[in-house]
Amino acid sequence: MTDLIQLLINGLAIGSVYALAAIGFVIVYSATGVVNFAAGQFVMFGTFAGVAMLLNAQLPWPVGYGAALLAMALFGALFFVVLYLPLRASPVVTIIIGTVAIGITMQNAALLAFGSWPFRLPSPVESVNLTIAGATISGHAVAVVIVTALMVALLWLLFFRTSLGIGMRAVAQDIKAARLMGLKVNRLLALSWILAALLAGIAGLMLGPMWFADTSMGDPIALKAFAATIIGGFGSLPGAIVGGLFVGLSEVLGASYVSSAYKDLISFGIMILFLLVRPQGVFGERIQDRG
Amino acid sequence: MSLLQATEIAKRYGGLAALADVDLSVGEAEFVAVIGPNGAGKSTLLNVLTGLALPDKGRALLDGWDMTRAATHKRVRGGLGRTFQHGRPFERLSVLENVMTGAAIQSGRSELELRERAMAVLDQMGLAAEAQLPIGSLSYGHRRMVEMCRALACEPRVLLLDEPAAGLNSAEVDQLVDRLTDLRTKHRIAIVLIEHNMGMVMRLAERIIVLNFGCKIAEGTPSEIQSDPAVLSAYLGEGYRHAGV
Repeated sequence: MTDLIQLLINGLAIGSVYALAAIGFVIVYSATGVVNFAAGQFVMFGTFAGVAMLLNAQLPWPVGYGAALLAMALFGALFFVVLYLPLRASPVVTIIIGTVAIGITMQNAALLAFGSWPFRLPSPVESVNLTIAGATISGHAVAVVIVTALMVALLWLLFFRTSLGIGMRAVAQDIKAARLMGLKVNRLLALSWILAALLAGIAGLMLGPMWFADTSMGDPIALKAFAATIIGGFGSLPGAIVGGLFVGLSEVLGASYVSSAYKDLISFGIMILFLLVRPQGVFGERIQDRG
Repeated sequence: MSLLQATEIAKRYGGLAALADVDLSVGEAEFVAVIGPNGAGKSTLLNVLTGLALPDKGRALLDGWDMTRAATHKRVRGGLGRTFQHGRPFERLSVLENVMTGAAIQSGRSELELRERAMAVLDQMGLAAEAQLPIGSLSYGHRRMVEMCRALACEPRVLLLDEPAAGLNSAEVDQLVDRLTDLRTKHRIAIVLIEHNMGMVMRLAERIIVLNFGCKIAEGTPSEIQSDPAVLSAYLGEGYRHAGV
């Protein structure tokens, strides 16, 4: 029982990271129709932004986190200007291949800057351990779950309670009609990329202390975030959250109760099962076309 | 001086001249209808005026401002509003949220002001009771009204309407005619109406422009247009003379 509590919290923590990565992925997909193959590298950049600010520059926690997230926001804006804006009139497949190219570039740039030796990114709460029902639980895992819940609540407020968010949802549905409402469409599209980069940054900062910071960590994250969106329902924000948590839990529980060698097999096996049986995912919306 | 002035607008799609040297001028609070058979270039004209398509030739002025190549959102902020032919409300937004996207046109409004402003427009158009509903639960006529409210929330000085009565029943058409009359008389909004419902056009329009194959073939008051030979042959074919019309 104590093991199970520990595993559940750890599964929720890693699942939260997948969920944030998946939310960033879904925000970009619903706003622009682009499947961002660099999404995993965004998270890797988030982790290494933490490495640069906290380990290399030795900044104190709040300043270091703030600087890392600011860097990620700027990176999201840069990504929009360098990749999306010049290609926005091209077929969406061209942009998708562009994200692949930039993803490869990002990984190699990180390799060049930080080397192949992994880093250990610290956590401000790593010395805190909680005991619940006899189970020892890492403070970082709990913090990750809390921060993710907070981010989800903030995103909900943004999308459903502010005109900025309503504008972003309008742009995601019909760009021409949004222009006719006087909305500054390019600015709102840029905001989608910035938001995705920020969420990936938060995911990366939280993932660093759980995994080693390694420049090749992007691809496994991308695959897990992708599995999460398939399971939850492609393009659905609640789906990204549920899918992310589900993948995290199945991975941790599978590794513990079945075999750690098969943990990926379990999460991807479930994804394939969903593709076969319920391709629209848990929160499957009917297929809709974009105007 | 006209509020909206388009001169010698031309637009080709491949070998097809969708618009050939079309002029349009609309004065303040004036009601102009653009009619013509399907494919005459009416929607293309609205696309060019709103910047969704750029003309190959010609100029478009809004209150003296040359907007020929301006971005759509700037034209909207300059006082141009438009609805689509088949109605394109934001399906996954509520009725109120749809209208709020338009109300955000004036920057610096608080969220509360945006909501109040959007509610006021819905109230004015008789949709206040449905503010919180998703678009999917509305009747076709009300969906189209939401689109109109959304455009009105942008506080346009010229409203371009692309077949607003299509798919409405006759009671809804009567209601629409009343609302459009109100917009013009009480709110001083100029209206450019594309419509196939000739009864509605003849009741509302002060001036009618007739397009056929991208060319303006006639312009005048409703009674002038009704007796114009070029218009009659465009609509009824050359044989109308023998039909005793």
